[in-house]
Amino acid sequence: MGFEKFLFFLFAIITLFSAGMVVTRRNPVHAALYLVLTFVATAALWLLIEAEFLGIVLVLVYVGAVMVLFLFVVMMLDIDVAAMRAQFIRYLPLGLLIVGLMMFNMILVLGPGHFGLEHFAKPAAAALDYSNTEVLGRELYTTYLYQFEIAAVILLVAIVAAIRLTLRRRPETKYLDPSAQVRVRKGPDRLRIVKMPTEPVPAPVSQAAAGGKNGDDQ
Amino acid sequence: MAFLYLLIVLAPLAGAIGAGFFSARLGRVGAHRMTILGVGISCALSLAVLAGFIWGDLKVFNDSIYTWMIADGIRFEIGFLVDRLTALMMATVTFVSFMVHIYTIGYMADDEHNWPQGSLAGKHSYQRFFSYISLFTFSMLMLVMSNNFIQLFFGWEAVGLVSYLLIGFWATRESAVYANLKAFLVNRVGDFGFILGIAAVGMYFNSMNYSEVFAQAPQFADTQVAILGGVSLMTLICILLFIGAMGKSAQVPLHVWLPDSMEGPTPISALIHAATMVTAGIFMVARMSPLYELSTTALSFVLIIGAVTAFFMGLIGLVQNDIKRVVAYSTLSQLGYMVAALGASAYAAGIFHLMTHAFFKALLFLAAGSVIIAMHHDQDIRNMGGLWKKMPITWLTALVGSLALIAFPGFSGFFSKDAIIEAVGHSQVFGAHFAWILLTVGALVTALYSFRMYYLVFHGKPRMDEHTRSHLHETPWVVTGPLIALAIPSIFIGWFTVEPLLVSNWLGDAIHVAHEHDSLHALAEHWHGQMAFIEHGMHGWPFLLAMSGLGLATLIWWFGVKLMPNLDALLQRAGGPLTRILQDKYGFDDFNQRVFAGGGLGLGRLFWNAGDQVLIDGAVVNGSARSVGRLAGQVRWLQSGLLYHYAMAMIVGLVGLLTLYVVF
Amino acid sequence: MPFETAFLATVLPELILLATACAVLVLDLYLNDEQRGWNHNLAILGLAATLGTVGLLSNNGVTIAFSGSFIRDPFGDLLKGIILILTIFTFVYSRDYMRERGLWVGEYHVLVLFATLGMLIMVSAHSFLTLYLGLELLALCLYPLVAFDRDSKPGAEAAMKYFVLGALGSGMLLYGISMLYGATGSFGFADVAEVVNAEGLENKILVFGLVFVLIGVAFKFGAVPFHMWLPDVYQGAPMPVVLFLASAPKIAAFAMATRILIDSLGALQADWGEILMILAILSIGLGNVVAIAQTNIKRMLAYSTISHVGFIFLGLLAGTQEGYAAAMFYTVVYALMAAGAFGVLAMISINGLEVEQLDDLKGLNDRDAWLAAMLALMMFSMAGVPPAVGFFAKLLVLDAVVSVGLTWLAVVAVVFSIIGAFYYLRVIKLLYFDKAADSTPLRLAGDAKIAITVNGLAVLLLGIFPASLLGICNAAFSG
Repeated sequence: MGFEKFLFFLFAIITLFSAGMVVTRRNPVHAALYLVLTFVATAALWLLIEAEFLGIVLVLVYVGAVMVLFLFVVMMLDIDVAAMRAQFIRYLPLGLLIVGLMMFNMILVLGPGHFGLEHFAKPAAAALDYSNTEVLGRELYTTYLYQFEIAAVILLVAIVAAIRLTLRRRPETKYLDPSAQVRVRKGPDRLRIVKMPTEPVPAPVSQAAAGGKNGDDQ
Repeated sequence: MAFLYLLIVLAPLAGAIGAGFFSARLGRVGAHRMTILGVGISCALSLAVLAGFIWGDLKVFNDSIYTWMIADGIRFEIGFLVDRLTALMMATVTFVSFMVHIYTIGYMADDEHNWPQGSLAGKHSYQRFFSYISLFTFSMLMLVMSNNFIQLFFGWEAVGLVSYLLIGFWATRESAVYANLKAFLVNRVGDFGFILGIAAVGMYFNSMNYSEVFAQAPQFADTQVAILGGVSLMTLICILLFIGAMGKSAQVPLHVWLPDSMEGPTPISALIHAATMVTAGIFMVARMSPLYELSTTALSFVLIIGAVTAFFMGLIGLVQNDIKRVVAYSTLSQLGYMVAALGASAYAAGIFHLMTHAFFKALLFLAAGSVIIAMHHDQDIRNMGGLWKKMPITWLTALVGSLALIAFPGFSGFFSKDAIIEAVGHSQVFGAHFAWILLTVGALVTALYSFRMYYLVFHGKPRMDEHTRSHLHETPWVVTGPLIALAIPSIFIGWFTVEPLLVSNWLGDAIHVAHEHDSLHALAEHWHGQMAFIEHGMHGWPFLLAMSGLGLATLIWWFGVKLMPNLDALLQRAGGPLTRILQDKYGFDDFNQRVFAGGGLGLGRLFWNAGDQVLIDGAVVNGSARSVGRLAGQVRWLQSGLLYHYAMAMIVGLVGLLTLYVVF
Repeated sequence: MPFETAFLATVLPELILLATACAVLVLDLYLNDEQRGWNHNLAILGLAATLGTVGLLSNNGVTIAFSGSFIRDPFGDLLKGIILILTIFTFVYSRDYMRERGLWVGEYHVLVLFATLGMLIMVSAHSFLTLYLGLELLALCLYPLVAFDRDSKPGAEAAMKYFVLGALGSGMLLYGISMLYGATGSFGFADVAEVVNAEGLENKILVFGLVFVLIGVAFKFGAVPFHMWLPDVYQGAPMPVVLFLASAPKIAAFAMATRILIDSLGALQADWGEILMILAILSIGLGNVVAIAQTNIKRMLAYSTISHVGFIFLGLLAGTQEGYAAAMFYTVVYALMAAGAFGVLAMISINGLEVEQLDDLKGLNDRDAWLAAMLALMMFSMAGVPPAVGFFAKLLVLDAVVSVGLTWLAVVAVVFSIIGAFYYLRVIKLLYFDKAADSTPLRLAGDAKIAITVNGLAVLLLGIFPASLLGICNAAFSG
């Protein structure tokens, strides 16, 4: 057993273990953190097969961006862990049965009988100046141009959809408009000097009312 | 050419759709202009096609235009076969239809009086009527121009439908509704045979196309079918198809609907129930001549049915008092002549008579309609008399029509009818002799009933009430115009067409006659021109009998009635049981009413009680409805609305399928 | 050659549609609420232009572009044309409904246009990757469309369910694709087909992948047991979205099924035929039976969709050219009928009325006879009553099934569709024989009336003259 193999099994076991923990952890924050671990271990597996770019992207995008966002959301939500727990127990037998069957099938098909090392020759080692990233880029912009463009459209749609579903003005919400705040000038907006004649000393109320009446009459 | 033929067919359809669906928007004038334009185009083009065949060298057109579907190798198509037979039929149909369209403007002008006040059914009835008759023209053209059995059946049913709609046109009259139902049901019997015949063709020939079927037909001449202990396939097919023709062309015993169909407006009686639709059966048999020629049994069957219809239906005409019914029975009788001609393999003579009959019978009906308009919709000939002074055009044209009908020498009917009787005389099939006697004596009967009606209507003392008499006057030009237009061919068309049709085989390949059946052969051999034919006819029995019938009629209903106004009624009473049998129409209606209607009703009640209510409703329908309802209620809980249930269902489905296909 | 400028010409329809969607997206920013009609007009114009381009580029040959990820063939051209026409119908039918509810905003047009683009991409996909991306583009547009009415709780719930289940379905599809990639080393349909033809059923990985991919297809169609999202989504979504969802994407799903099952996995027909048979029986049975118990018309039509999907599968599982053509005929016809039926429902959901329950249809004949007639025609057609085209569609499918010797299957299908006839005819009874609660006549826009008339006449005329469409369907599979 070479060192590569050892690393493979190490990271594979970490992946499986942490994935199991994601599903079984009581605390969602813990679960999310285990998911981070899963991704990191998977990224290591990518590196093992010399797909450096993918390994790095996995860490950057999933661990760095997606999971952090996810953690924010989990922390902001109030999740009733006990209720989820009860459902989990209730469906556990059925779940185990399905998992068992699924495992059986997968071992049958994906086992060494079909995917053993003897079925796939070891690929030739890449040249020293071989750049994973460059090849990916070249392929993306030539062979897979069409797919690449479609993916771009999908992202555009995702933006449109997100805006449609969430952007709205609620009249009852009070909020500050920063651009309006910034735009305020000292001049006429914040301070205004008004010229007005001096007011006479207010007369007693009854007189004023009578005076008004008189005024009407005039 | 396909475009031209398509235009001929579709122009009336366009008119029908316009007048039918946009009746309110088009208004009366718009509707009749539109339909007349459609039929006019169709008529002009049909005449051009006919002219192309007569004087030009138009090729026979036989092609499919649209494939509707293909099932088990049988192509269901829309296609046209236009040969000389078709061209003749097209011209006849569209010409009569065109005349009837024009005539209808006058006849239906005050149709609102025929409906109860404010009746919803009577709304836009004028436009609806035009829509129907245009639709009829379309259907009839589809029928005659078809090049395959399916389209033939479509046209066949479509004309039946329009006939049903038009017989019951005045839907608020109970008698009209009864009559259209009767026509529909009786035709159903015939159509059942017809579709069985078509099915047999499909089954054995594996094609619906005429030319393919006809080409294969001789191979099946000796095929036996194991029905009723073995019947020749050709006999079976021909008789089944002919049962359809018996329904449509009103042959005994499926004739009972035609007299009742007179409940419809008169233009319809002229167009559908005299000139065109009822001749569809004749046309069909002529078209199928390559099949019929292979079965002497079927020919013999056709011949006997035709002759029986021709004679016995004519007799009933003698005792009828309704002007339209007299003409209706004469139609039945004349159809019998045509069918007999087919039975004698004298297809050309049958078609010839069909054409001449279309003109003079349409003329007679329209003349009768003209009389009915003048009489304020009183149709009883006992209330008429002496109309000739007030309605000269109607009188003269009716005389022309009657003379043509009784085969007065030189008139169109003479040529066709004489040819038929002669051909039957030469025929060798079983029953030909019997048929010849019936047809010959039939000539006497024809003359009697025709001129009985003619004299009672137009001559003698006026018998109508004072109010009607003071308002009697000739009908407007839209009515008399078509009368004159139809009178001209009623006189002359026979003279001009007898030679090409019967002698020089103008129809050509459209009709196939086996050599041993060729009964017109003798006529063609001894042909020395029309005058010689007339002279020859004057020595024959039919002529003598017809003339004596004419003389007898003149004696009784002109001179006799002058002396004794109630002579007609006296004669009928003197007839005793004979009159009663004729007035009961040989009891066909009673028999049908009791046995078929009564039996059907009883059987229906039995099935309803025992089968439907107990078995089907109780056990099958309600039972299964109950169990389905219960099942539906139970399955509904699966749709719990909970997301993880749904996801679970998907995963269970996935794992189930995986296990099923990966492991096993 | 990885890329040529000439490829752009072959994807011209897609480019035009993309440009239209982007143009609407930008134009909407400059419009105030009274001018939203421009979005509508521009969208329809763009769709018409796309339709025209599809027609112009259409020929009998096959063009493959973008390194084998894109294919243009007569089959695709027909389906694209129908998708575009149905989308135009959707816009026309939905205008008054959306405007009345304040939903007639630019995003609606943008999302529908992008969804249409996704469908076009699916139809002419020639590799699993393209297909998957098209599918995601379509799905990603449909999720927000279902929740388009932001104040509607059922809408949000439905969208959520649709999203989660859709993700699950996509995941399965993707997993299956990865299996096929693992077994064949390629995404392209042609390359996969080569390996599959050589190895066939022997290779268990192929079968394993096939099951996953099939489930992706079945989910998109809504076949039992992957149908659960369908009734809830139909019920929760706004009517025009249901109209859209029920019509055009079914055609895209059919294209997807054909491309995957026939073009690339044709050699595994014995296996997928059996799986489809199971799904078809379950769908026809469950769909028809459960529909009877529904009181909500949208749910009822959802279950009716499920049963129709079963019929489409019947045609596919026959595995003959005749069967494929019948399935294609059925799909096109079904999409037309669904568009017409939901179109009528959307058109009558005006003046504050939201047609939800079957009882809301009572006496429609007194309010608008023409619409009632059109809806009745659609119901007759769905029930399979001649001369409406639904009859022919069923007949062709059953004929295909019988001709491969599966008569018992045809009998089962017929029995269940007789049960199904009940709920369609119940709608007709409500339309004509019951009294309306409110019998004020409806006032409808002229263009919507024209559209529903065209739609209805198509259903009727195709029923009387099915040969034209059937001929095209047959030609699509005879090459």
